[in-house]
Amino acid sequence: MTAGIDMAAGRTERARSRSRFIGLGAVALVVVYLAANLGVAHGSYYVQNLAEVGAVFAILALSLDLVAGMTGLYSLGHAGLFALGAYATTLLNANLGWNVFILLPLSVVGVGIVGVVLGALSLRVSGLYFAIMTFIFTLVVTVLISDLDFTGGLQGIAGPTFPDFPEGLSFLGSSVAWCVGIAFLVTVVIVWSIRSSAFYPVLLAIRDAEPFAASAGVRTGVVRVMMFGLSAALAGLAGWAFSFLGFVSPGQFNWTVSVNILVMVILGGINTRLGPIIGAIFISAFPVVISIDPLVQEVIFGAIFVLVIVFFPRGIVGIVTSLARRIRRRPLPATEPSAPDTAPIAEAELAAAGEEPQVSDEIALEVRDVRFGYVRGTTVLDGIDMRVRRGSIHGLIGPNGSGKSTLVNLISGALRPTTGTIEANGHRIERLGAAGRPARGIMRTFQTAVLVRELSVRQNAGIGLYSRVPRISGRSLAWPLFPSAHRDDRAIRTRATAALARVGLGSGWATARVADVPHGVEQLTQLAAATVGEPSILILDEPLAGLSSGEVEQVSEILRQLKRDGVTVIVVEHQTRFIFEMCDEVTVLAAGELVTSGSAAAVRADERVREVYLGQ
Amino acid sequence: MSAESTTPVIAPALRLEGLYAGYGRFDVLHDIALHVERGEAVALLGPNGAGKTTLLRAIMGMVKQRRGVIEVAGTDVSRLPTHRIARGLVGIVPEGRRLFLGQSVEDNLRLGGLHLRHDHARTAQLLRSVFDLFPVVERYRARPATALSGGEQQMVAIGRMMMSDPELMLLDEPSLGLAPLAIQSMADALLALRERGRSILLVEQRVDLALQVCDRIYVLSGGRIVEQGAADDIDGRGRALIDAYLG
Amino acid sequence: MLLQVLLSGLAIGAVYGLMAMAFAIVFYVTRVINFATGQLLMVSIMITAALSRAGLPDIVSVVVGVLASTVAGVLIYLLAVRPVLRFDRFSFAWLVSTLGVAIVLQSLAAIIWGPTSRGFPALLNRDNLHIGGAGISVQELLTIIVAIVVLVGFELVRRRTLFGKLGQAISADPEMASAIGARVTGFAIAAFAIGGLLAGVAGILVGPITFSNPYLGDTYGIFGFIALMIGGIERPAAAMGAGSCSASCPSVRTRSSARRRPTGSRSSSSWPCC
Repeated sequence: MTAGIDMAAGRTERARSRSRFIGLGAVALVVVYLAANLGVAHGSYYVQNLAEVGAVFAILALSLDLVAGMTGLYSLGHAGLFALGAYATTLLNANLGWNVFILLPLSVVGVGIVGVVLGALSLRVSGLYFAIMTFIFTLVVTVLISDLDFTGGLQGIAGPTFPDFPEGLSFLGSSVAWCVGIAFLVTVVIVWSIRSSAFYPVLLAIRDAEPFAASAGVRTGVVRVMMFGLSAALAGLAGWAFSFLGFVSPGQFNWTVSVNILVMVILGGINTRLGPIIGAIFISAFPVVISIDPLVQEVIFGAIFVLVIVFFPRGIVGIVTSLARRIRRRPLPATEPSAPDTAPIAEAELAAAGEEPQVSDEIALEVRDVRFGYVRGTTVLDGIDMRVRRGSIHGLIGPNGSGKSTLVNLISGALRPTTGTIEANGHRIERLGAAGRPARGIMRTFQTAVLVRELSVRQNAGIGLYSRVPRISGRSLAWPLFPSAHRDDRAIRTRATAALARVGLGSGWATARVADVPHGVEQLTQLAAATVGEPSILILDEPLAGLSSGEVEQVSEILRQLKRDGVTVIVVEHQTRFIFEMCDEVTVLAAGELVTSGSAAAVRADERVREVYLGQ
Repeated sequence: MSAESTTPVIAPALRLEGLYAGYGRFDVLHDIALHVERGEAVALLGPNGAGKTTLLRAIMGMVKQRRGVIEVAGTDVSRLPTHRIARGLVGIVPEGRRLFLGQSVEDNLRLGGLHLRHDHARTAQLLRSVFDLFPVVERYRARPATALSGGEQQMVAIGRMMMSDPELMLLDEPSLGLAPLAIQSMADALLALRERGRSILLVEQRVDLALQVCDRIYVLSGGRIVEQGAADDIDGRGRALIDAYLG
Repeated sequence: MLLQVLLSGLAIGAVYGLMAMAFAIVFYVTRVINFATGQLLMVSIMITAALSRAGLPDIVSVVVGVLASTVAGVLIYLLAVRPVLRFDRFSFAWLVSTLGVAIVLQSLAAIIWGPTSRGFPALLNRDNLHIGGAGISVQELLTIIVAIVVLVGFELVRRRTLFGKLGQAISADPEMASAIGARVTGFAIAAFAIGGLLAGVAGILVGPITFSNPYLGDTYGIFGFIALMIGGIERPAAAMGAGSCSASCPSVRTRSSARRRPTGSRSSSSWPCC
């Protein structure tokens, strides 16, 4: 026992020294960066221009990676947003004489708001159409700035001059270099903070597994729009900084610039810390630095694009990581990939059951006269009533297409009933969105687990705590700077580990990537994600699909434990042996109507149930 | 394989001998020997991750075969590309059905008979046989595939496979996600196919279904065949053995 | 007067429409936007012009020019797109590799034939027709006819034939499509070949007006792409319509050809990265 405590103490000690080490490293990095910035500020015009343009495009590439890499929104609107920032700063300074430091928050917030509006409009359409909508936005912006009178037309307009440093600070050199450099540093801090925060797995879940994120309480639509707004604000910042570099003209903000920024992100390495920066520097500096015959230089430039992407589809950062991997484990394991160090799915370590817990008469969830149709005029569910008692396991069965999944979606909030009410723990919830339900104690799983494949099992389980960590999205902007964030990181890790242990996934699985684990472990992971927040009502949609008989027994045992803990469980399943063995009560649907509802034994004996569902 | 080679025998629908296959650098399947005679239905049982789906994919040419024999109706398919194998040799109902959801039920079926598209008489006849087996599919032929329930979609997937008139039919967990009655009608359909003399290799989690439909079973575990036998011979002890492997 | 504007708008729109179709057919089967499509148009123009200058008969130069852009389309698929898709079917890395090809093709053409405009055989541009007071060259009329034939042909194949439906099946689930006997790679090659062919034909049709210039791919690639985006990427017919519209909208035309790189340090070009 003491050994265990010592070990735990050692671990926290190690973690603390590790985080102190990282902190020191970050400070050192900033110092080195500032020194480099000082060097640039004293450099020749050539060096300054090169560094400043590179930094502006690095801001743009980082901001695009925020939406393209982390949120899966391939925006072609960033050139337009960039243009708004630059032109707003230039025009308001030139025509109204506003101070450039007042224009900084104005262009950042203003372009951010434009981004929120554009995002809200474009996100109604998904995937490719998002790219098209934002593309058209850029097109409209460039047409406007070239057609309007006060923008200087195609010729463009001279940008404002950035004030020089006062006498005492003139040793710092060029003020524009510092302005651009600090803007870049701020962007890096924000984007890297989000990457290292507990919000990052949530963002990837929105990108890859939206229903899963929504069931954990994430308002996915809102988060997407806000992320696009943040990304737009950073593009506005880039525009503000860019206006001090000389002339602004429509050609610099063409839609092709949008494509260019996307190329920087992908060529450097999408969804990586350094990739967008490397891509931006390469693309903006290569043509300037390599001074040979311009046509030959272009051929080489294009050939590099093709070669890098064909041989390293993950981009320039992919070259480095694959080289590093090759060096680190030179002798490749000759055998199969080694299994995690514990037995595949350890016996759930469950305390021997005490006395059977009593199912109370209190109603945990009540569905009253619910009707629903996907299209007006059609009915999928017709007047369904269902009462689920607290602490019971309630089965929901019926033929394929009978409306079970629809009912589950209504209870969990993915859909809203046409008429009728749903009450959970004494609150009406039928008008509440899916993201509001975890706060009411309702969590769910899906037929086939859709998780974030590139994250670990434990990170996926931690996503289930989203609604339990306050202001996670706001704090993510400067995550490492909050002491509370470190506490939350630890708490999420501990609770996720505990939840995984409860479903029988020992520490060996916790750090495995979901992409590498077998189907059964994925199903158990989503069960852990659904129970980690300690819901009072848990909805399981075909939890046994694709599980072998041993795993079925394991899930049964987990269910019994949940029942002992007083959790109300609603389970949709086709394996009748499991249903009638585990459930206290069963509700049967067929063709969108209620067939019967009652104790498992009564339902099993019901003639109509045999007819529509069980067969002989 | 007790068949004496002195008399000319009809080549089995499927013959695997010493098969190794896998993804990347790793073999998933080791030394697989398995055969499906003409008109025979064979079940492949095994726990998750045993390599059942990989075995079906190897037969379809979707997974790299490294060593060993894959013969379908006497033809060596181990070097053939997937689309050649799919043209009349092997048809598959994949895990999760994978219907073409943007298309109508009938288009899904017609796409299944792609290599016979110029043989209108044969296509019509195959379409008729699908509709005979699944009357409900004929009723919904003009609907989009998405509008059907899970059980009906599974029928379309089986129908799509039948349309290529293959020598060997592969089915990957067709019972997954189906209600008991739908499973029963699917089992009936498989029995009807066997009745018509089709050769079937069925991957299943449900032992009862496999024993009901199939003549023989193989049990796959850790990428190796660990048990095999005739379905009739599986008594209580045999089932316990299978259950032990499946657990 | 109005008719005259309409006719010339239609003729130039037909070229943009053909370019949009060249993009769209590739996208229809492979879910890839070939950013070097404009450069394929340029390839056919440059080679036709060079052969014609070398004294070959027009018909031979034209056929070889179009063949060259078709072959180039296939090579782009095999060398720059297929390796990327094999790694990850859903990545957008093809954006970078096809743009890279576009840059290489354009600069190579400038190295080989010089960066300035040179002649192009007049073909059918000498003959004029008069329709109700408006004049149109036979070349322009041919352009409109070719565009309509291609459009109608594609829509017929897409909607009426199993072949067309197979194209959709392949883009939705290539592996399953191969499991029903479709040659997925063959289809993709064919799509890139047809894309190259259409771009090449568009080049021949527009060449007598534009003459030959290595940077032509820029202009026409942009208009084809804009037409595609506005028309809706999954509906080639609408893309064609959008092509015609954008041709009669002079504002878009002049704006988009405003060209300058953000750094201001490099020569004229508005195609991404060029």
